[in-house]
Parts: sequence; structure tokens; C-alpha cells
Amino acid sequence: MARVRLENITKRYGEETAVDDISLEVEDGEFVTFVGPSGCGKSTTMETVAGLTQPTEGRVYIGDDDVTTLAPKDRGVAMVFQNIALFPHMDVYENISFGLRLRTYDDEEVRRRVEQAADIVQLEGMLDRMPAEMSGGQQQRVGIARAIVRNPDVFLMDEPLANLDAKLRVHMRTELQRLHRELDATIIYVTHDQAEAMTMSNRIAVLNDGKLQQIAPPLVCYNEPTNRFVAGFIGSPSMNFADGEVVDGGLETSNFTVDLDATRLPGVSVDDTVTLGIRPEDVHLTRYADSLAAPTDPIDARTDVLEPMGDEVFVYLLLAEDVEGSMEEDPATSPNQLLMSVTPDTEIEAGQDVDVVLDRSKIHLFDADTGDALVHGITGIEGPESGAAPTEAE
Amino acid sequence: MTDPTDDTDPTTATESSDTGGIGDGERDPPRDPTLHRPDGGTVLEDDRDADLDRGPLQQWVSDSISHPERVYRAMFYVAAIFFLVTTLFPFYWLLMVALTPEGQLQDIVFTPNGFNPGAFVEVFEVIPFHIYMFNSFVIALASTIVVLVIASLAGYAFGRLEFPGRTPLMLLVLVISFFPPAAFFIPLNDLFNTSFAFLRPITGDGTLYNTPFALVTPLSAIFMPLAIFILTTFYSQIPDGLEDAARVEGTTRLGALFRVIIPLSAPGVATAGVLTFIAVYNEFFFSFLMTDGQPENWAPILDGILAYQGQYQVLYNLMAAASILGVIPVAILVVIAQEKIVSGLTAGALKE
Repeated sequence: MARVRLENITKRYGEETAVDDISLEVEDGEFVTFVGPSGCGKSTTMETVAGLTQPTEGRVYIGDDDVTTLAPKDRGVAMVFQNIALFPHMDVYENISFGLRLRTYDDEEVRRRVEQAADIVQLEGMLDRMPAEMSGGQQQRVGIARAIVRNPDVFLMDEPLANLDAKLRVHMRTELQRLHRELDATIIYVTHDQAEAMTMSNRIAVLNDGKLQQIAPPLVCYNEPTNRFVAGFIGSPSMNFADGEVVDGGLETSNFTVDLDATRLPGVSVDDTVTLGIRPEDVHLTRYADSLAAPTDPIDARTDVLEPMGDEVFVYLLLAEDVEGSMEEDPATSPNQLLMSVTPDTEIEAGQDVDVVLDRSKIHLFDADTGDALVHGITGIEGPESGAAPTEAE
Repeated sequence: MTDPTDDTDPTTATESSDTGGIGDGERDPPRDPTLHRPDGGTVLEDDRDADLDRGPLQQWVSDSISHPERVYRAMFYVAAIFFLVTTLFPFYWLLMVALTPEGQLQDIVFTPNGFNPGAFVEVFEVIPFHIYMFNSFVIALASTIVVLVIASLAGYAFGRLEFPGRTPLMLLVLVISFFPPAAFFIPLNDLFNTSFAFLRPITGDGTLYNTPFALVTPLSAIFMPLAIFILTTFYSQIPDGLEDAARVEGTTRLGALFRVIIPLSAPGVATAGVLTFIAVYNEFFFSFLMTDGQPENWAPILDGILAYQGQYQVLYNLMAAASILGVIPVAILVVIAQEKIVSGLTAGALKE
């Protein structure tokens, strides 16, 4: 088991910068997920840890050793691949024991450890099958067994569940968590699926455009995103955003005004242009808002489309009177739309005029130019403290 | 008044000339040409009438036009028989010559003039033909191994690595493969006849002439480009993930090549290997010139066959028997490997 430390990792392919100056540290036994959209550099970052890619600049440490120039085989890492990458010409036993057979273990020891690993991933009795004869989930379990059999310091998992069907993915997610607990291993996990990131990790590292946006526990990323990208990326459906201007005593967006006292919010002053962010579940119908400690003034809206999901209903609200819902506009960023989630027993229908309020303690303000978070929660009193301490990564 | 008259006059003139044109209808060709044209409608009738007068060839041609697949089938048989005859008849003739006793060779007409299977034993008694065969086998095998090892490394580099100058280098390999081998002969022969001190412990006189190296070296080089191309294609199709997995599991890049990439490219490796083996085994030019033709000096089969040609007599029946014996190993090899070769030459693009 070991810590992993990345120091100013940069990777360029010609003119393209895939990874831009990433520094982070993964603690011993920690489960850290790299998450981000496609092409954000998360896989490349992982490959520099594995040694499959040489960083253009920066150093990689595993434990206390600088492994930047070491070959992958000498780093004490094991990897599970997105495309599973079992050796098709070997049976399951040979696949799992591949790494052991390259080292000097006696046959008895190899067999014992292979059987133990197969036991952990529940592959008993399948050791003489060929990979082509197995289902996707079984294949991926072989891939995981191949990784754990060598008892490595660090596990690297590059979207291991991406090629599995949805049901199996949920099942394997819990298996991986159980595995993490049993092995007490350091795991770095790459995914673009934020549900995997939220459910499994101790900490999430959000990457975009090759840059590290935030590294923090999942709920911190959710509740106190460090910038607008993290706020929009974490959480499904995405956070609502509305651009506005801070005036004396309030924040004016194109369709509604929120009271706030700019003097009591650090980083916000009158005449600033800011982006207001509010998650769908923090938008409430006024008639259900009694329980809210700090609601905003009611906002007039009209319901456009309802999406019943079973456990909740997503309601697309149109804010401006004469605006029609539009296919071209992303509801999360369109200034005239607001996405609200309500419980399924709420009496609401499409085309209805409603009043909604926002939960002031859950309103996020971002700098409109840089996207950096300014404040999380604008209740005004304890707001600054809770908002001033997002886990800064940059 | 004059003006309107002038205007109307041409109009009337044109009208009258138009009507004149139509009015001359009886002398004009009819408006529907198919009705009255002498060729048009009558051809079909002639055709049907002529059926009775046709000879067999005309009949066959007419049938073929209406059923072209008969022609294709006929062409297939013609082509197949042509190739079978041109490839198999020489072997048949060789067998006839081999079976005919010495001295009666001039009267062979499709069957042996006598029956003398002892020729196949005699070939080993007159000269040590088995040693020539052994030499050829060793040379072909050694060349194949050298080619496969080096072409595997080259194929890995060309197929799986990005490096500046990859395409120009690949083209250079291609260009070299087009050089006529004769262009290499004089410098190589000179080189192989030069004595090097460091070679003395190995070859005695310090030259490579009369050693298998004199054949293996140039022949490997000549047949290398084809193997490089075949292996490059195959190795480039192995998914990157498998190599990455092997490297993370504990192999070097070379280890991944030999433990994962080559086993998964078995059809390609078999193809390159068999093609090289056959090419070297059959090669004439260097084989003939790089040794002095003595069996103890690594002379290949070619020299063995020619050794039945003495100053005063030529043992054609033994040459024929030796030729047949020389073909057997390659024939066996091809039969064993043909499945792999076919899949290697054709199915390369289909691999996952």
C-alpha cells in the first residue's frame, strides 16, 4: 500500500496539451476518482501513474519513490482496463497468473494466490474457461482478479465498468466498494460516470481541459463546487445557472431578483456580474416552501415539460411570460428556463402558472468571467464562512 | 396599306410552305419509322427462321448469350485445367523420367519407358544427396528464424510505435525489396571472400564463403521486407490495451511482444515464416554462387541436383528423382501450414 503523489504533471502531444500542470496526492488506502468529460485528460493522467505514458514535465511518486522514469512493471501498480484487455489466447487461470508467472513464485504459491483472487471476485470453477466464453461481467471480474492477485501497492482502474450493461454496472460498483474495503488498497479510478464517482470514492478529482478543477470528497464537490464547471458537472440533472448583476440590496437576473446584502458576502460587491447557480432540488414551489428557513421572494413561472422519474419529477419551468420552451437551449444554462425537481406526489401539471422560491442557503454565486465560486449560500450570516472554505485545488 | 400587305405576305408564304410540307406526305418517310423501315421489324422474324439452319457452334454461341453463366463455368474449367496442367504436368513428367531406367530416356511418351523405382535410392548412393537436403533445410530454417526475429522487431516498431520518419523508413524498406538481388552479388561475394581475423575461430580461413552464413545473410535480407510488411499489418491490429496490460503486469515492451502480440498474430507469423522458408529453399542465384557446390561446404539442394551432371554423362533420371525428393519437404510444409497461410494472407484485416 502506498501514497501516490503527482507533482506538476504536464503532458503535451505536439501542440496539444492533454494534461496541464496537475498536482495531487492520493493517501494510502484512499479511493480517488478522476472524473471529467471525454478528452479532459483523466486517462492520460492515470497512464502517467501506470508508466504507460511519460509525462512531458513533472514527477510521479509512489510511496516515497520517484517512479517517473520507471517502467510500468517496476512500479508496483496493477491496472484494470476499460476494454478489459484479457489475453484472448490464455484461459482464465493463465490470465490471472500472468503477472505472477513473470516473477519467481513457485507453482504452488501461484495456484494458491490465483484461487484466492478468484475467490474474492467470485470466479470459482471458471479458471479453465477461455475469455471468449465468458460474459462481460465475468471478463471484467477476471480483469480485477488479475489486478489483485499480485497484491500491488496501487490499483488503477480506467473506466472498468464502462463496457458493462447498466444493471451489471450497479452490481459491480458495490463489488468494487466491497473489494476496496477488503483489500484496504489505494485505488485510483477513472470514469466519466459521476454516479460511480459519487458513490464509490473517498475523494473526487474533477478534471476539465487537462486541468484539475477540484479534488474533494463527493459531497463537498456537490455542495461547495469550487467553480462553475464542477457545479455543472457534478449532479444530475445539472445545476441551473442564471447570469445577473449585483445591485444595491439584491441580485438581478433577466427574469427574477434575489435579495442579498453584498456587503456581507465576501468577494461580491455591487455592480459585479455574477452567475447564480441553484440545483433543481433546491427550487421549491411556494406552497410547499414553509419549511424553508430562508426562501427567496416568489418567482413567477409557468411549467413547460414534466419528466416523471418515479422517485422524483423534473419540472421544466419557463420564467419569461412570452417565451416558448426551445429544443436548442440547454435548460441548465438558458436564462429563461429553470429546472425544478419535486416529489412525485406534488400536484402539478404542464402549462400551469406556479410560484417558486429558491433555497437561499443553497444558492451558489460564481464569478461570471472566471467561473470561480464566490459564495455558497447567501443567507448572509453564516454564509461567508461556509462559502469561503471550498477545498481549493488550484 | 402597303405595310400590312407586306407583313401578311411572308406569313402566308410560310404557312403555305408548311402546309406544302405536310401535304407532300405521300413521298415523305412515315412518321413512325418502325412500321415501315425495312431492317427494323424484320430482324426478329429472320432470327427465328434461322434457328433451323444453325450449326452447333452458332447454337452454342446463341445459348451462351442468353445464359452467360454457362460461359463463366466453361471459362472456369478452361482456366483451372490450364493451371493444373502447367503446374502438375512437369511433376508428372519428372516422375516419368525418374522411373525410367537410365539409357531408355529418349522414348518416354506419357508412361515411363520401363520401371525403375530404385532411382530414388540411387540418388543417395551416387552422391550424398541427403547432406545437400540437410544443408538446404538448415539454411532455410536459419533464414526463417533470422527473418522472423528481426521482422518482428521491425514490425512492432512500424506497426505500434509513433516515431518521426516512420513512413519514409517504411518506404525505404519497400524500395530495397525491389532491388534486383544480382545488384548485391558482386560486393557481397567480394565481402564473403575477404578474410577477417575475428572469423577465423568460426570458419577456419576467416571468410564466410562456403559457410551457411554466406547464404543466410543475403537471403534473409532479401526476403525481410515482405515479412516486415506482413508482420507490421498484424502487429498494428493488436489492441493497445493488451500490450498495456502485459506491461503493467510485468513485461517489458519486448516481453509483451513475445508473450502477447506474437501469439495473437500467429497466422501472420506463420505466413511470413512459411513464405520465407519456401523462398529461401527455392532460391537459385545466391544458392548457386555462394558455395563451391561441395556438400561439406553447405551447398544446398540445387548443387546436389546439378551434381548428377558429370563430364561425360548426365543422369537425368537421378536428377528427376532428386528434384522430386527436394520438393517433398516444402510440399509437406505447405499442406500443414496452408490453413494458417490463407487466413494470414486474407483475414488480417478482420482481426479484432
